[in-house]
Amino acid sequence: MHELLLFASVPAHQHHELLQQLAGLTAMQPRHRLERRLIFKAYRKPGLINTRVGASQDLQGNEMQRLNKMLNGGMFYTQVVGSVSEADFGAQLSTAPSGDPDAPMSGTDSGAKFENRPYSYESQPWKLEFRDIPEAGTRSAVTTRLMASASLPRGDITTPMNAWGYSFVTEYVVEGDVFILNDIVIFLHRVLHYPAESPGSHEPRRQLPPFQQMTPLEKTGSYVLQASIAVQDGGNQEMMKTASQHLFGLREQLKSAVRLEQADRLSLDTRAK
Amino acid sequence: MSESFNLPLHPQTEKRERPDPLPVEIAQINAQYGSFRDVTEESLRAKIEADKSKDSWADEEENDSTSADEDTTERLDQLYKRRAAITQFAHQAHMEAMFALDFVSLLLSKHTPRQAEMSMSAYLKQVAPLGSLNSEIVNPPPKPDSAAKDTKNVSRGWRLQNFNSAAAKLLDSATRLEAEAASETNYWNEVLAVKEKGWKVSRLPRERQALGVQYGFLEATPIFRDRGLAALRRTNDGSLILDKGLIPLKARTVRVRVRSGSQITGCSKHRPASDNNESIESRILQARDTVYEEELFHELVREARILGSQGVTTRQNLVQFPVSEGQEVLLDLVDDDQMSPEDETAQSNEHAVVADALAHAIRILLAYAHRQNLRRRTQLPPPLTPKRRQTPEYQLLRPVMAYLQHSSHVRWLESLLNDMDRILKSAGITCDFTATPFSSLSLQRAVDGLPKVEALVQEFLFPYESIFSAQLVTRQSSFQVKVRTNVTTPPLGTHYEVSVNLPQYPDVRPPNRIGLQHEVASVITHFVLLDILTAITQSKGSPVHASGKQDTSRQLTWEAAYPHNGELLALSSTGQCKKMKVSLSRHELTVRAHSVRGIDGVGKLTADKTPAMSSQTWKSDGTPGQLSLMDFIAEVSKE
Repeated sequence: MHELLLFASVPAHQHHELLQQLAGLTAMQPRHRLERRLIFKAYRKPGLINTRVGASQDLQGNEMQRLNKMLNGGMFYTQVVGSVSEADFGAQLSTAPSGDPDAPMSGTDSGAKFENRPYSYESQPWKLEFRDIPEAGTRSAVTTRLMASASLPRGDITTPMNAWGYSFVTEYVVEGDVFILNDIVIFLHRVLHYPAESPGSHEPRRQLPPFQQMTPLEKTGSYVLQASIAVQDGGNQEMMKTASQHLFGLREQLKSAVRLEQADRLSLDTRAK
Repeated sequence: MSESFNLPLHPQTEKRERPDPLPVEIAQINAQYGSFRDVTEESLRAKIEADKSKDSWADEEENDSTSADEDTTERLDQLYKRRAAITQFAHQAHMEAMFALDFVSLLLSKHTPRQAEMSMSAYLKQVAPLGSLNSEIVNPPPKPDSAAKDTKNVSRGWRLQNFNSAAAKLLDSATRLEAEAASETNYWNEVLAVKEKGWKVSRLPRERQALGVQYGFLEATPIFRDRGLAALRRTNDGSLILDKGLIPLKARTVRVRVRSGSQITGCSKHRPASDNNESIESRILQARDTVYEEELFHELVREARILGSQGVTTRQNLVQFPVSEGQEVLLDLVDDDQMSPEDETAQSNEHAVVADALAHAIRILLAYAHRQNLRRRTQLPPPLTPKRRQTPEYQLLRPVMAYLQHSSHVRWLESLLNDMDRILKSAGITCDFTATPFSSLSLQRAVDGLPKVEALVQEFLFPYESIFSAQLVTRQSSFQVKVRTNVTTPPLGTHYEVSVNLPQYPDVRPPNRIGLQHEVASVITHFVLLDILTAITQSKGSPVHASGKQDTSRQLTWEAAYPHNGELLALSSTGQCKKMKVSLSRHELTVRAHSVRGIDGVGKLTADKTPAMSSQTWKSDGTPGQLSLMDFIAEVSKE
């Protein structure tokens, strides 16, 4: 699957206005999104077979060649994305059953309970998102990259990821709104950092701090507008062309509000060196 | 030819050499002599003769020298004369031009002798020296005062006149502007009024300088979505008109009619016409309703096309589907003014409520489909593929059809069970029927993240199910009938699932799925019959005991000989045999008992019918004073 993208930077003061413009353009209400994003880095496990390359005597089978290619191919950072709700932030504080004398009667306030249910790391659904470095040397004015997504088991994700050869690097939160315009997904978002990075912990958080304590990565609080469109078959030039035409159409429509443009290729480099 | 005699200045060139293209010639011949069809040998010969005698001009031309007619010499004379005249004129013109040139050259030779000399004629050069002619500007004599005054007056008059007309024009435009401003204010007030009513007013995408009002439905099919926008134009007096372009202004409505046999027995109600038809608001509303109705009908037809296998038929402007035997529902799109009560529709109002309910139902379902479209549109889109995404047909007819079909089946089953119940009651047997029609609908069910309205409508899109259960005469036996109707996914249609609990006949199992009503009826009556037989065999004459008679010991005990035929046998101690036949149908329960001598080898009863033959029939109307079944059994059980 391929992904075509255009980006624009949106200053904080324009955010509200742009939200309204986008709502008008797409004829839908914004869908608020909060995502935890964990970054994993691939590493080569020691003790893997490193077969010789180039010796023409031992003809490798097709399967073998593919396996080798996979094992010795480039290493990438990948993201594990889990969507959360605002109630999950700082939830552990409100639900701490500190000496409340009146035990809540069961069944009477199920709705309230539902709202205050603590954030459970164990039942957090995850999705693996792989993004390649954008393709180089394309003449078109959009960012194009290979992408793949897969859903992962719920709960603690580090163990399976470690088993697959990925180590946890860091995590952050993305906050924003999604709009859909035909095939284009418009995501107006910004990156939030957790309050105090404790250097020792090398694990995803099990609890989330209160939302107010999250600080935007960009100190001015500006947002990123990302317009993306996915194409099933990246080899189909026709489809790729249609997709970029759609993006250019959107760029024209938003011209008076924001300037959508291609991203710097190297800034989206996901290769692990 | 002689009239248009033109004169060649040059000697005649050989024109003959120019090859005449054939088509031109043919055309010429056609024009001159008429069609080739008329050319016959005789006519050609006659023509040749005539040509010879006439001695045409062509011959003259060809043999110029040979023909020395008088006419020719005369012509030649004339020719030379005219030629001479022409050359003379030309010479004269040339001479005059030369004179003029000489004059101008002489005049100029004062100032630019060199250039002027070049254009002078030799004769002039000899006669007149260069620069001998000069020119100077002469001041005209001063005009008299009166003339100057006149001019002044005239110019002042002109100016006054111009000022007047300018003032008049300005005044004109002022009034025009005033009127314009008034009508513009009027227009904007009306636009604002429309906007304040909550309509979306925007610029037209095609015509940037015009205002439009959006009244359509964003989630409709694109053709109808785009029709939901009309321009708000201003008439000369400033009032607003709704300009929908080429779309006719007529209001149209989907009409639902129910037809039983050949009679229309119900028609959906006409939408109440708005009280003031002229206000812009009412016109917008009407446009909105019409676009909705037209979309509704479009979608109905689209859906009807895929439902051809289920008896739905479409005409050009009509969709019809059968509900039950002899009953049909007709849907068509009619103009509002055509909806006046027709003689056809006035026949009966038996099903008017049904028709009205159907009309409401399909509209609600379309609104639901719109909501589904919004939901689909705002989901994360799947990756682009060359395959186009098709919008599935909306579920409009299917739920309605399913509902009607289901309720008709349920009503039939209910009446069947009620009939049986009444028969059994009249026979003194109590049987417990419970019916829960539409048990699959649970309107209280809350679906997570779905608005109440949508959850409510969604209930009606699932297959319908109704459950009938009955506690039979004997304690342990019961049966349950599930009626299920499904029109969206196969198996299509209505089918019955009968499950039975008859401990006496554990081998008896009904077919898994029954589709036909009469089969269901026979299955159910059969089970009830089997149950009655069980009850008879188990009766042990208890009712007689209750009635206080003493001879309980002499009661016969019945045994089911051929239960599936409803036959019972009782063998008395005296060796006499009694036979009883029970038959049950929807209309009656009959028990016949008679004594037989014995059973022959084949199992046939050699009945000796003349003696004690007693029978009793119970009908559903329940004639009072009849014996109950058990009493009757007790009666015949006596030896």
